[in-house]
This record gives sequence, structure tokens and C-alpha cells, in this order.
Amino acid sequence: MRITKLIIINLILLCFILIALFPFLWLVSTSLKGSEEIFQFPPKLLPEKLTFKNFIDVWQAIPFGKYYLNSFIVTLFIVIGNLFLGSITGFVLARLNFRFKKLLLFIVIVSIVIPQEMILIPLYLILLNLKLTDNLLGLILPSLVSGFSIFMMRQAFSSIPKEIEDSAIVDGCSLFVLYWKIMLPMTKPSLIALGLLVFIATWGDFLFPLIILRSQENYTLQVGLSYMTGTFVDNFRLIAAGSVLSMLPSILLTIFLSRYFEKGIFSGIK
Amino acid sequence: MIKNLLCKKIYPYYNSGMKYPNKNSIFFFLIPVLTFLLIFSIIPALMAFSISFFKINFFENSEFIGLKNFVKLFSDKYFYFTLINSLIYLLITPVLTLLSLSLAMLIKEKQSGQEFYRTIYFIPVVTPIIIAGIIWRYIFNEDSGILNYTLNLFFNQKINWLSSYPENILSVMVVTIWRGFGYYLVILFAGLMTISREVEEAAILDGAGFFRRLFQIIVPQLKPTITLVLVLSSSSAIKLFTELYILIPGAPLSHKTLVYYLYHQAFEKFDISYGSTIGIVVFLLTAGFSYLNIKLIEKEK
Repeated sequence: MRITKLIIINLILLCFILIALFPFLWLVSTSLKGSEEIFQFPPKLLPEKLTFKNFIDVWQAIPFGKYYLNSFIVTLFIVIGNLFLGSITGFVLARLNFRFKKLLLFIVIVSIVIPQEMILIPLYLILLNLKLTDNLLGLILPSLVSGFSIFMMRQAFSSIPKEIEDSAIVDGCSLFVLYWKIMLPMTKPSLIALGLLVFIATWGDFLFPLIILRSQENYTLQVGLSYMTGTFVDNFRLIAAGSVLSMLPSILLTIFLSRYFEKGIFSGIK
Repeated sequence: MIKNLLCKKIYPYYNSGMKYPNKNSIFFFLIPVLTFLLIFSIIPALMAFSISFFKINFFENSEFIGLKNFVKLFSDKYFYFTLINSLIYLLITPVLTLLSLSLAMLIKEKQSGQEFYRTIYFIPVVTPIIIAGIIWRYIFNEDSGILNYTLNLFFNQKINWLSSYPENILSVMVVTIWRGFGYYLVILFAGLMTISREVEEAAILDGAGFFRRLFQIIVPQLKPTITLVLVLSSSSAIKLFTELYILIPGAPLSHKTLVYYLYHQAFEKFDISYGSTIGIVVFLLTAGFSYLNIKLIEKEK
């Protein structure tokens, strides 16, 4: 009885592993196929002849390196911005009393509730006025700090016992040292989870870059790949190779950091 | 030296028995962050309302048109088509929640390799939507896709996964569920770990089946987490855009969603103010559904 139950559970879980991984493995297998194998019918699961040619061709067929660099720059700045500004504001909101604190907290919460889709058009107009459209800076600035990051870090700092702060004050710590050296390391799981979340969201963001960026040399990976699917209809193997390359950082980060994700997200929710 | 100066500033507050150091001047340090939030979030939100009352001309002065956009919206058949499609996509929410919760329960019951499963299930979550769309478009391809190939092999049938109307909604839903279940699973699993096992074990001893335990023991205890998942998944279902852009780019407007219609009006037809009006409807819908979900769960208490 116990054993059959375990077998059923394992089978169901295994089934979902296949569902989760199959499309991805299919993509990897396609990216390793040669040009003559791509439109074979029936489709073959594994390539007959392994070739890495697609991974080289994709850099030449489109400015893939430029897309990659653009995505990297945008993501790097936004992740660092959210971690730093989010944590320092979260720390101040959780630990200090000052005038207008309630107002600031209110603004933070309102900005979480506002859906990005609603402010898309006004944001576009503002960036147009600041002459920041078709510019990576126009992509970075609006996302440099978000209400969500501040709120998540505020929750993380709130859960640190007060005794630690007291002893730091008795020892004669400055506010910044208290934040940087004592409190911040204690929020490591939340910081990593926030970094991962911001990375996933920024690396995969599409609608906003699609609207802001006009010229090809400024495209991020997602806009570039989608543009490519419109022009390279017959070259699915190149698109597959490009997709695999652009997914690589996300997958590596997930495998190494996913255990922090749960700890962090829950300290943010409570 | 500098350290000593800074310390003196805190000491007086500490000695006077204040709970936390009180520094009104800290507000000035927060002005940059506050500016960012105001310029890129609060002000655009207010602008979204005002823009919809104006006819925006890029080169001349804008003209106040009052409620004209809203009147136009309510007699626009494409608004209703896309609104209905967006509401249909809400069906994802219960499916995703139930699926993730069931899987989370199974993983919890298994007790070994929990982290392994959660990591693997998380891989679709980190897949950018564009790439997920590229992969699935290939799988759903009506002539050479693997799905139709298999169907043809066993049932001698073909389904127009991407070009026929109700089918393409289903295909987009499949992709959204595929990308989403791992995320909600992690949240629900963390919630499951906080509730006591004793009641559940007693229920197992009494011979309660999986679904009975799910609905009568787990769900009532997990209400806050389930509310969160419902709110998150329903608001992202209403805001569906990218999946459609990459999966069914050629489909007529009547197959698309509200956010796609917003994009179409504002950035393809350059009717910025009409697009903003649609944006307000999107906002009202997400706010409404979040409120409804929270109320529903509270009422059951």
C-alpha cells in the first residue's frame, strides 16, 4: 500500500519533470541539428549529427553580441539599483522613525499596486520628453528602484531582533555601519531572492523595451529574438541557438540560487 | 574621527529611551528614491487618468475632450472582444492554483529530493516569455509541429492550435500554465511547511483521500498563501500580452487581449489617449479582481 502510493507520487512528479523540461530539451536538440535536419518529417527528437555551427552562425547572422551586451548592461544596473536602493530604503523604513515616514510607506505601497500596463503610455511620454527613448538609459531609469523591492527588504529588516540593533548602538556604530556591516548580511536570503526575481523580470522583459527601443543596435535579447522570428522564418536552428544562449544565465542562476528563493520570498510576504 | 561624530548623533536618542534612533534628516537621503518612485510610477499613474480626457497631438496643443474616449470605448466592438478574451484567460487562475497546490502536497509527502523537484519546476519560470513562445510555437506548429504529428499518428487528426479561435486561446493558456506552475508551487510549498502535520496525519489514519484532505484540511489552513497566489495569477492573466505577441502574431484583433488592444491603439495606431483609456480599464480589472479574491477568501473564514 505504502509502496504503490510512493510509486504513483513519483510517477506524477516525474511526469511533470518531463513536461517542465521537454520544451527546453527540444530547443537544445534543435539548436544542435544541422540545416538539412531541421524540417525533417517526422521530427526527430535527437540530432543525427551533432553540430555547434548554429551557435557560431547566430553571432554572424544578427548583431547577437550587441543584443546580449545590451541585455546584460540593462539587467546589471537594474539588479544593483534595486538591491542597493531597495535595501537602504527598506532598512530606513523598518528601523528608523522620521518625519513623513508614513507618507513614504504609502507611496511605496501605491507604486506596488499600479500595474505596469497602465503607466506604459505616460511613461513613454515622460521618456520622450526626457529624450530617453531609443536609449538604454530610458530602460534602466524607470526600473532602477521599485516599490516591491523596498517593501520586500523592509519586511526582511523588520524581522531582525531589536537586541542586535541595541548592542550595535551601544558599541558606537554609525547608522551606515549598522546597515552595511551588521543588518545587511543578515538579510542575505532576501537579498539573493530579490536579486533573482529582478533578474528574471528584467532579463525576460519584453513589452517595455519593445516600446522604448527603436533602432536595432539598441535591442535587448528578447526584442532582438522576437524581431528575428519575424525575418528568419526558415532559420529556426539559428533562433533556437540564440534562445539557448540567452537562457543560459537564467538557468545557471536558478540551479545555484533557487534554494534562497523560497526563504527570501517568504520573508517578503509575511 | 568621522565615526565618532556619527556616533554622537545617535547616542542622545538612544539615552533618551527612544525605541529606534530618530532622525528627521534621514528624509533628505530618501529624496532620490522618492523622486524615482514619483516620476516613474505615481505621476505616470495620475497622467494615465488625465491623458484619457485629452486628445494628444504631438506637435500642437492637446485638446480637452472629456469623456469622449470612454463613450467610444463602450461602443467599440473590439474592446468587448478583447475584454472577453482577457476574462477567459482568468480561467488559468483556478487551474494553476489547484495544480501547483496538488504538486506541492505530493512533493511534501515524498520527503526526499524536494529541492530537486522545485528547482526543475522552476526552470520554465525563468524562461523568458519570448523564448517560451518561440519553443511552443514550434511545438504547436500545425504542419510540422510535434504535437500534430503525434495526434496524426494515433488519432489521424489535426488541430489548428494557433490559427483557429478557441484553440489558440487554449494554446496560450498551456504556455502560461507551463511557465507559471513552478512559481506558485514554490510559494504554496513554503506555506505548506508552516501548517501542522498532525491534523493531516489524523485524517490519513481516518482514511481521507487526497482530494478530501486537499479541500477540507489544507485549503482552510493555507488561506493567506492561496489568496496571494490567486491575486498574483489573476492579475497576470488579465495583463497577458507577450505570449500573444510571439505565439499568434498574425491572428486578428478579436483573438487578442485587452493589453494587446492597448498596445495596438497606442503604439501601432498612435492613439495615445485612447490607449490610456484602455489602460484604466486594465487597472480597474486587476484592482477589482485582487479585491474580490481577498474578499472571497475572507468571507469563507
